[in-house]
Amino acid sequence: MDQHTHEHQTEMFQRLGRITRQLHDALNELGYTPVLKGAVDELPDARSRLQYIARLTGDAAEKVLNRVDEAKAEQDAVRQHSQQLLDTIGAVPGLKWAMPELLEWTQKIQHSTERTDAHLTEIMLAQDFHDLTGQVIKKVVTLAATIEEQLLQLLLESAAHAQSEAASQPAGLAAPALAARREPLSGPVVNPEGRTDVVTDQSQVDDLLASLGF
Amino acid sequence: MPDLRFLIVDDFSTMRRIVRNLLKEIGHTDADEAEDGVVALHKLRNGRFDFVVSDINMPNMNGFELLTQIKADDKLKHIPVLMVTAEARKEDIIAAAQGGAAGYIVKPFTKATLEEKLANIFKKMGW
Repeated sequence: MDQHTHEHQTEMFQRLGRITRQLHDALNELGYTPVLKGAVDELPDARSRLQYIARLTGDAAEKVLNRVDEAKAEQDAVRQHSQQLLDTIGAVPGLKWAMPELLEWTQKIQHSTERTDAHLTEIMLAQDFHDLTGQVIKKVVTLAATIEEQLLQLLLESAAHAQSEAASQPAGLAAPALAARREPLSGPVVNPEGRTDVVTDQSQVDDLLASLGF
Repeated sequence: MPDLRFLIVDDFSTMRRIVRNLLKEIGHTDADEAEDGVVALHKLRNGRFDFVVSDINMPNMNGFELLTQIKADDKLKHIPVLMVTAEARKEDIIAAAQGGAAGYIVKPFTKATLEEKLANIFKKMGW
């Protein structure tokens, strides 16, 4: 590092120190330091509340899936029994003519079990809300952690007795932690209106891929 | 059609269970699960799998990295990878296709969509 660069950096750090000092004074004069501290204190609570929602919705989705599994098994048993009954009716000569309602009801039961099974499949698929909302909650939790870290940093740097050298050390330590949290993937699109860079349904995915020759 | 062994990769157990149940309804009962790309890659390298259904946004190793690893591995690159994900950016869809994904399904999806994409891939594979 040459002398000029060193002087330039020293001057830059001194200016940053003055800005930090001014910010600290402004926060104190305006009475914002306690407000800032309050916000920092509340963020872990907000994070844990979001995690609580994610846990509860996850548990609820699992309970629904368990019930769907049981209901599907029972529906399948009813379907098999009704099929056996249909086979019996078909095997006994004259039975379907003697008791036409027996044949009709058995067929209705069979159709009903098929429809119910389709409904159960839809209920099962609807539990994907846990995955989609969970991803959004995860992103908000990460964002809250980042904001908390940055606000905490701001409080540290504006502390009345902080030395400029001492204040610079946590800033250096905080950077990699923030970088590690940053996620390049965007997750579910919460607000697709007016956006041209995202798709909103499967047909748009298929059209896009087809237009590119895939 | 041969009996296919599926690997379902998703960090959300609910979604793994949904995909597994759907595959079962479609007639594919042989499936295993992995919660991220690292676990998936380990299972793929130490077992026999014919098909991968993978999420993209996962911890440790995401779906794009998993796809890259699979396609770079001579012993695994023949395995079709169907991406099932909430990532709806066009650039992600194009990246997946260019990276060798056999198909791309955006969440939320229907049983019919999964059935259709699987049928398309099976046809291309000659199964």
